[in-house]
Order: sequence, then C-alpha cells, then structure tokens
Amino acid sequence: MRASPTLSGYLFATPLVVVLAAAVILPALYNTGLAFFKYDATRDAWRFVGTQNFTTLLAQDGFWNAVSVTLLWVAGNVALQLVLGLAVALALNAVVSLRAFYSAVVMVPWVSSFVIVAVVFLWLYHPELGVLNDMLMRLGLISQPIAWLASPGMAQFSLILANTWKFFPLVAITLFAGLQTVPRELVEASTIDGANRLQMLRYIVIPLLAPSIATAVLLSAIWAFNAFTLSIIMTGGGPLRATEVMGLYIFKIGFDSFDFGVAAAASLVLFVAILVITMAYLRVADPARGAKG
Amino acid sequence: MERSRRLVRLAAHLVLIATAVFVLFPYAWMITTSIKPIADVIAWPIRWIPRTVTLENYAAILSDQRFLRALLNSTIISIVVTAISLVLSVPASYGLTRLVRGGGRGMLLGILASQFFPPMVFFVPFYIVLQAVGLLNTIPGLVFAYLSVTLPICTWMVATSLRDIPVELEEAARIDGCGNLRIIWSIVLPIAAPGVVTAGIFAFVLSWQEYIFALLYTTSERAQTAPVLMFYLLGQHQIDYARLMAAAVLLSIPIAVPFAIIQRIYRSGLTEGGIKG
Repeated sequence: MRASPTLSGYLFATPLVVVLAAAVILPALYNTGLAFFKYDATRDAWRFVGTQNFTTLLAQDGFWNAVSVTLLWVAGNVALQLVLGLAVALALNAVVSLRAFYSAVVMVPWVSSFVIVAVVFLWLYHPELGVLNDMLMRLGLISQPIAWLASPGMAQFSLILANTWKFFPLVAITLFAGLQTVPRELVEASTIDGANRLQMLRYIVIPLLAPSIATAVLLSAIWAFNAFTLSIIMTGGGPLRATEVMGLYIFKIGFDSFDFGVAAAASLVLFVAILVITMAYLRVADPARGAKG
Repeated sequence: MERSRRLVRLAAHLVLIATAVFVLFPYAWMITTSIKPIADVIAWPIRWIPRTVTLENYAAILSDQRFLRALLNSTIISIVVTAISLVLSVPASYGLTRLVRGGGRGMLLGILASQFFPPMVFFVPFYIVLQAVGLLNTIPGLVFAYLSVTLPICTWMVATSLRDIPVELEEAARIDGCGNLRIIWSIVLPIAAPGVVTAGIFAFVLSWQEYIFALLYTTSERAQTAPVLMFYLLGQHQIDYARLMAAAVLLSIPIAVPFAIIQRIYRSGLTEGGIKG
C-alpha cells in the first residue's frame, strides 16, 4: 500500500524543516539561553547569572544611545522613503508611455549590494574629493564643502539618505501595486465633480491606499531596525556614537568586547521590541484589511 | 480637462526623470571613477569628463591575489547556497502545497515566520556553534549561516508560484502512473520555472552581497568573501577610490546580469512575503 499523500507531503518537507531547525530555531533558542549566562573570554567559560546581563545592559549609556539613535534612524528612513515612494508610485501610475522602463530603473537600488552602496556613497560624500560637494558648489548652493559624515546630525542624515536610496524602490512598488486597486472611475468621477487633484489625493486616493501604505511602512521599518551595514562601513557608529544603531551596538558588545552574554541579551530585547511594535502596529493599521497589501 | 491631464502626465514624467537621475547617478559616478587615471580622480574641482580613459584600476584589482581568492570564495558560496536552497525548498513547497491536506498552510506560515528573527539573534550562537564544530573561517560555515535566511524566503516564493498552477496537469500525470519525484521534475519545475528561478536568484544574490555574517565568521583569507575584502581595502591608510570603484563595478556585474534578465519576474514576486531583502 502506498503512503497517504499527506504523509508523503510532510516527508518532502522534512529535509527543509530539519535544516531550518538546525539553522534558525535551535540557534534562536540557544541565544535565548545564553542571555542568562556570563561569558568569560579569558577562560572561555560560561556561568549562570540570571537576569544580570539585562540589568547590565539597561544600565549602560551606550544602550540608551542606541535606542534613541535607532528610533531616529527608523523614523527618518520611514518618513523619507514614504514621501519619495509615494511620489514615484503616483507618477508611475500617471504615465502611460515608458512605464516599464521607469519601473525597471527605479528597481536598480533595491537590487544593489549594501556594501557597494556603502562604498559608493562614501565616495560621493567624500569631504575633499566628493562629487556631491562639487555639484552643490558649482550650483552655488554652498560656498564651503560640507563634511557629510563628520558631525553627528549630518552623519545621521547622510546615512538615512543613502539607506533611502537603497530602500525606497520597495516602498514605491508596493504603493504602485496598491494604486492598481484604486478604481479609475472613482478618480475620474471626482474630477468631473470638480474636486481638485490635491483634494482627490487627500480624500480619495490616500485612504484607499491605506493598506498598501501600512505594508510599506512595516517593511521599511523592520528593514531599518535590522540594517547596519551602512553604519559599520561608512561611520563605524561615529561621530560620537551618533550613528551607532542597535545592530551595530550589539555587534560591538559581542565582537569588540566579547561580552557574548550581554550581546545575546541585547538581541533578545531587540527581537521582543520589534515583535511588540509590529503586533501593536498590526492592530492599529491592519494591511490585510481591505485590499490585499 | 484633457489639458490638465496632459499637465499631470508631464509632471509625472519630470518626477520620474528626476528619480532616474537620483537612482542612476551613483552608478554612473562609480563607473566613471573606475576608468579615470589616478591624477583625474584626485583633481579638485572635479574633472567630470576624464581626459583619458584607462583600465589600469581594473588591471590593478584583478592582479591582487587576495581579491581573486575572495571572488572565488564568493562564487563558490553563492552557488552552493543557491543549489541547497532550491533542492530543499522545491520539494518542500510541493509537498506542503500539493500533498498535505489542511495542515500544509500552517507549516508554510511557520517556515515564513522564521525569517522574522533579526540577524542579531544569530550573531553569538552561530559563532559559538561554528567554532565548536570547527567551521569558523570556512566556506561550509558561511553556507550554513546563509541558509537560515534563504530557506524560508525561497520556500515561500516557490510555494506562492505553485499556488497559481492548476493541479489538473499533475492529476493527469498521476493517473498515468508518475510518482511524486517524477511529477516535480517534469511537470512542476517547468511550469513553476519563473518562481523557482526567482527564488534561486534571490538566494544567489543574498549570498553574493551578504556582509555582516561574512565579517563575523571569516577572519582569514581562506574563506573571506569579496564584500569583506572591500572592507579591508577601505581600512587601508590611503584609500584608493579608483581601485575601490573598479572592484565595486566588478562585484555588481553578477547581480546586474541576472536581474536584467528576469527583472519582470522579480518585480511581481517580490512583494510576496519578503521581509529581508
């Protein structure tokens, strides 16, 4: 007798599930356990310390610095990407000719490698030889070269700009897909009624687009929470820790100070924080409600 | 009314042209810098059009043994991760979406949910485990780390593309006496090819460009990947940006070519359940 389809179905999934368990589930559980142990790098030994890693973490200035830097970083990225993404999505929706070409071009940053984005923007931002300063000076917008990565506020802004370049395509395409579900007749009708374009956008298009906007914000925020390749390459977290986002902070505790237990605790805190924020967010702005996000 | 529509279209084109310039300029500048002689690279004000075009920066980077070794490591890792990801995720997606009654969806969602862990959760445990089994600083060690990211997303992508394929073909094949493996190979794979290719390219590109895991788990040249080597080029006292940009161009090619080919497929599959890029 042959095995039932359901049984063989699970059988086909077994190798994948085994590898996933080994590569994702077990390490995640192990990490949770490690958060309650203290690692002694000199003797390569672990000792159970209860919640001490968490109290150590919460007492560190670096942790709270990372919290505020990360919140600013996430908010800046989401806001900038949403504005740019919405403009591009609306424009893509309005054009008839060249639409395929434009959307292909818009996707270029999304498929770019993070390391390459980092080195190219480092070169664009170069304080003495950077093309960005050269352009702004030729246009007469600035008289002195700007040190893009040298002051805390400027560095945070410059990194957000580079990250926005990399990530706004996903926001634009998500919103563009959402716009396809806004009925054209509705928009046409309101034009005949004399609603001007901005009012139309504000009262008809944006509300209908809300599920897609919710999805785009979520994707962009989760991505920003996790991403620190730009910080580690372009600024190393400086100047004055102004760009030391949580990921980079955890990286440094773990692999500069070899404080493995505290690093594990911090990653756990970050994970729970993202989970809670996501859950709360999904309750308020549910992308599944209405059109498919 | 017709006039105002035309105005909106014009404005839309202007927005998109400005966006195209914003998007393409970094690449244009990267390529220009890479073919400039060094004297032009360090000129101020900037010499926008190089006086002569040179390939010396490419020659320099391609004669660097460490860079070649890193390219080879990146190539091996990306191919192996892609192969393992597909070999595991295609049968699993087929089994869960086609054979399992009822429960398949729950397990698929569970598999997808496992990508929700932030990468930082894995920094320390991977390090300890890889060290314990002697895989720190090796290619298999890095492959293992990458599978934690590629497997959930590849499974989801393949399962999504399977959902759109009618089951009648498979049922016909089954009546003709084909087994499951035969059905996967000669019916599902050809029809689901766009989804499978997209998943494969996703796995390849992720491994090709990944940086943080590679930085953590490969500290010696033996297993170092190209992105990590870029970081070391940056760490040198005097950064040679022309050479760095030549390296960046070379590293972009294996990403640009497949995406140029399947750009359309990728765009339609990408909003489906991908959290990590």
